[in-house]
Amino acid sequence: MSEKALNKGPHDMGGEAAGPIDTTDHGMKFWEKQANALRSTLSAKKVVRVDELRRAAEDLGDQYYKLEYFERTTAALRTLLLEKGIITEGELRAQMAEVRARFDVPKAPASPVKNGMRR
Amino acid sequence: MTPGRRTQARTPLPSTYTPAPGHRFSVGDRVAVKRTFPPGHRRTPYYIRGKRGVIERICGAFPNPEELAYGFDGEPRKVLYRVRFAQNHVWEDYSGPTHDVIEMEIFEHWLEPAPGAAARSGSDEPG
Repeated sequence: MSEKALNKGPHDMGGEAAGPIDTTDHGMKFWEKQANALRSTLSAKKVVRVDELRRAAEDLGDQYYKLEYFERTTAALRTLLLEKGIITEGELRAQMAEVRARFDVPKAPASPVKNGMRR
Repeated sequence: MTPGRRTQARTPLPSTYTPAPGHRFSVGDRVAVKRTFPPGHRRTPYYIRGKRGVIERICGAFPNPEELAYGFDGEPRKVLYRVRFAQNHVWEDYSGPTHDVIEMEIFEHWLEPAPGAAARSGSDEPG
């Protein structure tokens, strides 16, 4: 019955068939720590609320389980900051381009030293 | 003395329970979870909707998270209850002991008196 799934969020998985749970501690990547710190700070300053973050994450729909945990929470944070007008789409795009450019270093040419001094 | 985890652990944690004036249901009341499927951020899992249980305790009154989720202040506050359900009622194919229960915290606006249950309190029967 299609009514079964009406307006059911991706997070609302109680009763669904579930596989084994991965209990390995995967640690946190550097960007994840930064993203998490930003989220904690904005929550502590009451710029965003946990209820809003949950809602924005749930609204990811099919994307919800395609993203990893910190990707999901960061996507939710992005949605809220845009919604609240704290940042604009344009500012975010410009800043992302600026950050990308910092890493856009030319490939190192082949080192004549390394090539010539093979032991 | 430096305050640390050890000293903090000895201090009783403050209760998160708050007064709930004007609560509609009392402990022991038989209730049914509304069988409705509205869009938006909802704090009542799908699988419990339409199920019947018993009020186990009144947790307090809290800003409505279903409003907070959209940037509003969550007022008026909603009374939150802990509701006890029989597992074999919630899950049709439940094979565990018949006395197994699941308890869930549910806001008042998701609850209505169970069919046939008069608005009364005092029953200690499990769901």
